[in-house]
Amino acid sequence: MLFRVDPSSPEPLFAQIGDQVRAGIVRGDLTPGMRLPSARDLAASLDINLHTVLRAYQDLRDEGAIELRRGRGAVVSAHAPHDYRPLHEAIETVVRISRELGLSPETTTALLREALR
Amino acid sequence: MSAPHAPSIPGAEAGARPPVPHKALTTAVALLIPALVLTATVVVAMSWAAELPNPVASHFGGDGPDGFSSLGSFVWTGVGIGASLAVLGWVIATGLGRAAAARRTGVGTAVGGSLFLATSVLGTLDAQRGLADPAQAGGIDGVVLLCVVVGGLGGALAALLMPRDRPQPATAPVPSTAARVPLAPQERATWVRRVTGRSMIAVAAAVVAVSAITARVADTPAAAAPLAVVLVVLLAHAQFTVTVDSRGLRVRSLLGFPRLTVPADEVLHAEEVSVSPLREFGGWGYRVGASGRVGIVVRQGAALQVTRTGGRVYVVTVDDAATGAALLNTLTARTR
Repeated sequence: MLFRVDPSSPEPLFAQIGDQVRAGIVRGDLTPGMRLPSARDLAASLDINLHTVLRAYQDLRDEGAIELRRGRGAVVSAHAPHDYRPLHEAIETVVRISRELGLSPETTTALLREALR
Repeated sequence: MSAPHAPSIPGAEAGARPPVPHKALTTAVALLIPALVLTATVVVAMSWAAELPNPVASHFGGDGPDGFSSLGSFVWTGVGIGASLAVLGWVIATGLGRAAAARRTGVGTAVGGSLFLATSVLGTLDAQRGLADPAQAGGIDGVVLLCVVVGGLGGALAALLMPRDRPQPATAPVPSTAARVPLAPQERATWVRRVTGRSMIAVAAAVVAVSAITARVADTPAAAAPLAVVLVVLLAHAQFTVTVDSRGLRVRSLLGFPRLTVPADEVLHAEEVSVSPLREFGGWGYRVGASGRVGIVVRQGAALQVTRTGGRVYVVTVDDAATGAALLNTLTARTR
């Protein structure tokens, strides 16, 4: 799986990592039982602080997305296998309609964020 | 179907491949050491002729010797196999050895193979010295164990003594035709993927079963020794972690070895290819394939292939290799 962080983005780095793991689970790239890279390896690969990755992993654990096991590292939780297909289809519909209406991605995400509040 | 190593990106591999380095040293180790070992084997074996039964026991089953042949035919068969392995290893090391891994594989095969055969010949004969009837020879459990240890350690030592590749930073830009991952200027990225050798694990399970049965039925615990070695080798191939980041490509086994590293500054380009382990590498595992391509191939199908400076090509079977290849191209291009 691809991890990317942009230090020039206003979003904190730990949140960027967390979002990608969440998105990976929803997309089905990360399946229950799959191991994430160790925090040390991921921090080294992205040239960021170890504690930034640990913070992201702890947040993910607190919300039940992953389990942190001594010796085995971070594992995607078994009880996260929801069926996200209806959500995917709905998102595709939103994308299609907002393109048809000529809305900018910023406007569409702003509307989504507003609706989710 | 073109040659398996042919880069699908035109102009990416400019000119002829550079010559294989370290040919003199490789030849000295891969041919001279086996020649000395095997010559000494013949000399020592023949000097024992008066003390040995005629014919000698040449093959052992669970209940002791079950095959016999003349001393000469036994010694020359063993030495012949050892010499063939040495020549095979030398051909790999000097013909395909652009990557240190390929040279090490060749030299390890040559030295390890000839030491294994030499130990096997001399050990088997030593167990029969002073006997009038070769059928009196006891078991050769200890010899089997010794062969594995001497051959394995000798081969590994010879391989490790081979010089590593000298640094060869790339100067050419990454071809614009090579796939990329769009990244923002400041954005950092890494691609991590685990690959499980299911066939390796299945074979390892079979090896455990067979070795347990063999040791039990034949009552020769040492018969399990070569199988134990095979088991460790198989387990070392059970799972690999493939990482692409700004430092380059890294492939690491669960046990730490085998591993493979290609630093970003030596990457020419990366791509996804399809690998047929049996046809292109003659089997599964950590392998040297046709034209010296070094591969960690644990299954058929998609693989990440990296063309490196010095005419070196590496391949690792992994899912979603296209993303890994594109990211490696992108991060590599940043360093040029």
